[in-house]
This record gives sequence, C-alpha cells and structure tokens, in this order.
Amino acid sequence: MSKVKLPDSKAGKLAWKGDIPITSRYTAGVAGQKFFQALKEEEKILGTVCNKCEVTYVPMKLFCERCFAQLDETVDVGDTGRLVSFSVVYIDLDSKKVNPPQIVGLIELGNSQARMVHRLGEVKSSDLRVGMKVKAVWEMPLGREGKITDIQYFKPV
Amino acid sequence: MKLRKVAVVGAGITKFVRRAQETAKELSYHATKMALDSCNMPLEEIDSVVHGTAPDAFDGVHMKGEYLSEASGGWRKPFMRSYVGGGTGVFAPINGWYLVASGMYDTCVVVCEEKMSSCQPHPQGAFLTIFDHTTERPLGPNLLWIFALEMNRYMQVHKIPREQIALVSVKNKRNALDHPSAQLGAELTVEDVMNSEIMAWPVTRLMVSPTSDGAAAVVLASEEVAKKITDNPVWISGVGWNLDTAYWTNRDLYYPEYVEKAARMAYKMAGIKNPREEINVVEPYDPFAYKELHHLEGLLLADKGQAPRITAEGITARDGKMPSCPSGGLLGVGNPIAAAGMMKICELFWQLRGEAGKRQVKNSPRTGLAQAWGDLMQVGTVVIMQRGD
Repeated sequence: MSKVKLPDSKAGKLAWKGDIPITSRYTAGVAGQKFFQALKEEEKILGTVCNKCEVTYVPMKLFCERCFAQLDETVDVGDTGRLVSFSVVYIDLDSKKVNPPQIVGLIELGNSQARMVHRLGEVKSSDLRVGMKVKAVWEMPLGREGKITDIQYFKPV
Repeated sequence: MKLRKVAVVGAGITKFVRRAQETAKELSYHATKMALDSCNMPLEEIDSVVHGTAPDAFDGVHMKGEYLSEASGGWRKPFMRSYVGGGTGVFAPINGWYLVASGMYDTCVVVCEEKMSSCQPHPQGAFLTIFDHTTERPLGPNLLWIFALEMNRYMQVHKIPREQIALVSVKNKRNALDHPSAQLGAELTVEDVMNSEIMAWPVTRLMVSPTSDGAAAVVLASEEVAKKITDNPVWISGVGWNLDTAYWTNRDLYYPEYVEKAARMAYKMAGIKNPREEINVVEPYDPFAYKELHHLEGLLLADKGQAPRITAEGITARDGKMPSCPSGGLLGVGNPIAAAGMMKICELFWQLRGEAGKRQVKNSPRTGLAQAWGDLMQVGTVVIMQRGD
C-alpha cells in the first residue's frame, strides 16, 4: 500500500486506511477509434453488422462473438431510438444521495435492435414510458472529445 | 470421460455482518475449520483446496486468492482460485467437484470469502471498474442502474406489479430470522418494502441485499472416502454454468437465457426430466428481490412471468411444495458476494440431511438446487445436490 495513514480506531478496534495506487491508460481500440471519431466529427452512432448472425453491435465491435468473424461492415444506426427500460437513480457509487436524481435508459437505436445505455434529459421522471421515442442531444462540436459523453443525453421527441 | 461420484460431507459458515473485526484470512479460517470439524476431517486428509472470492478490490488486496490460501487450508497443497463475479459461490464448488470427479483427488475443501467492508467509502465503488472503460464508465454507471433497468424490463414484459416482487423480500427476510448467521432477518410487510427508500426506481432499499463480510465452506469427497466419513453424504448430482455476452445492453434483459442453459446442463447430468416435480428445495440467487423470480423462471421452475404467482400462492414458502431460499437468501442472511453463493450450497447440505433446525423445510426433500449469478449480468452457475441412498 502506498499511503498508509495513521491507525483509525473505532471502539478501540484498530484499522488502517490505505489504497492500491493504480492508474490505467485505456486505448479505444481499432473499432473504438472509428466509433468515437464518428461520434466526435460526424455526430454519428456507428455499429458493426454480422449478416450471418443478424446482429448489430453498438458501440461497434471488431468481431462477432457468435461466429467469430471479423466485422468490416459499418452501419450508421441513427441517433434516435426507442426506450426499452429506464431507472431513476437516487444513490451514487458511494451510497450518497444523488440530487437531482439521475435518469438512465436503455435505448434501442434505429431499427438495429442494438441497445445502448445512456442518460436521459429534458424529461420528468413521471413522464417516462417504455417505448417512448428518444433522440440524442449532442455536445457542441468544439466541446467534443471523442467520448461517449459527446452525446450529453437522450431526450424524448 | 468416466466421472466419479462426489459427495458433500461437511459444511461451515461464519456470521454474515456489515463490518467484521476479523480479517479476510480469519473469516476464511473460521468457515474452513467449521467445515472440517463438522465431518471430523483433519487438514492433512484434504488433498486439494479451491478458493472462491470476488474482485480483489473489495478486500483491497491484490492476488487475494494466494493471500487467502493458507487461511483456507491450502498450505503446501494444490490450491486454485475460481472466480466468475457474483456467480463464484456456486462456481467454486463446481471446480472442487471436478477435481474429485475426475479422479485427480479424493478430497477437496472449497472455501468462499468476502470482506466488502474494507472498501471505502462504500463497496459499490469497486463495481465501477467492471464496466467498459471507454463506452460505459464515463457515464458513471453503478450496479443499481443495471439491476433497475433489468427489473423494469422484467416488470414491463410480464406486467408484474412491484408489490408482487416485494413479497420476495418479505419471505426471505422472515426466513432469515431462523438463520444463526443472518445479518438482516426481519418481520416485514409488503408495505414496509414498498415504502422503504427508493434507491434506483423501481428498486427500494428493502428489495436489495446488504453488503456483508463473511465466509462459508464445504468439504467434498469421492464416494469411497465419503462412505468412510459419514452415513449421510449429500451427492453433487449435476453441475452447470454458462456465460452470456458482456455486451449486456444487447440482450433482452427480461429473461436470463444463460441461467436456463446452465440449468439444462445440470438437469441433464442429474437425469432430471421434470424439474418442477423433482427439485424439492431451491436456493436461487437473490441479491435483489426480483432476481429470485427471474432466476426461478430461468431455472425452468416457473413459466416465464409466473414466478410472482407461485410466490403469492405460497409454493415457494418454507412449508410450500418447492421452498425457495429457506435460508433467508442474500436478502436476509446477507451478501458477502462469493460466500453468499456458498451459503446456499451449505443450506442445501443441511436441508437434505434434515439438519436445518428451525429452517428445516417440511417436504422431506430428496433433491435441491443452488444457483448463483453475476459478472456483467451474464453468468449462471448451478449445482444440484441429492440426499444419499
């Protein structure tokens, strides 16, 4: 442990605080590079298609997990979709209150049957309905970084 | 391959608590010791050791398997760690089973441990890094999200009211009042569960299992050795496991197909043709209330969308035709991840031997099934156990 702080005693029982110091540098990958570039530069959500297995992968994936073919066919699945499920989240990772609560959804994109998870915005939680049509709200071009958050959230249309 | 018969001959478990004073090693030691003592097995007669424990991040110790090896009886023995996230507690005994079934060893002790309280400020934090670093983590996801999305999908497809799901919390937490290891046994009403704090709609606090510290263990033996140790062995008659894609958003979350595949593998091995008639007691994985229902359906023990109905009818009550989570489950006994699945194996062992005390089911069970689930909502692990004759 790198940082071992002074003993932290509760009711006379000894405990120490420490951490495992690890920082990672994750590459986007071969497929991810194309996916995030299209997100940033073209406002497009790209998937890859396996015609044999009739599966579309979003975010795009280099290979089909079912038949193990390498996937070369890219498809623009559009930035609208249908809400398949949703949640209104009141608790964060540290078990602390989230205020205001965060709305998240599973979105089926275009006609692809591919789903992605993202935030929902410009909607009251009481108005959320499974099946509602939603559309991506994009970050302004200059603010985009080639990240999934270049889509700020999805909103009902 | 000709497989040998493998029996469970001993079991041990610590108390499940929010924050144990015992270290991870001490917890593992206590569970292992209790399992060995329960069948009068000295450690030197154990040929091999399997340890199951979930992400290293919980205990905050890297290479946790090796770290815990000597606390699980692994000193100078063939030792292995097995791990499939939340499914670990039922996967580790499968690993132990094939060490013995294959003829490699005559005995194996299988130990599962988790000390989640080490993780600060809350063990939820350790789950952030199970998500894809590029496509999901920037959204700040947590486990509650994906459970809530899955529960909502399950409710939508089958038009299941939340009250029927709350009934699982009521049943399991009540059952847990009779478990000496239980962390959260309680007498509650459906209203109590419905009115508890909303964590991530539709999930309320009383529909979620707690974070826990604890350990549990079993001793496995080949037929020849088992018959010398006990007149009452419990045979592992079927095992199965299966993983779905980590592209979890691409699946239809209303039904756990990977659990069905794991169950079918185990039923086939156990020669079970009609699980609803032949499984007398079941311990499905219940980290969230709806998961027990979801899993009963995946295990083919209820039609799709019908698990809430059989729960409401009392079929899964402790005195019902097919008691489900008579232990009290993760909702009641607690959820030290890997140890929680192993707790279910221990429960079947005691139930099938008629040693479950106040928790004993009333249908003199011959066959039981334990199941766990985990990773990125993608793994199903199943063990079927049978009273000896």
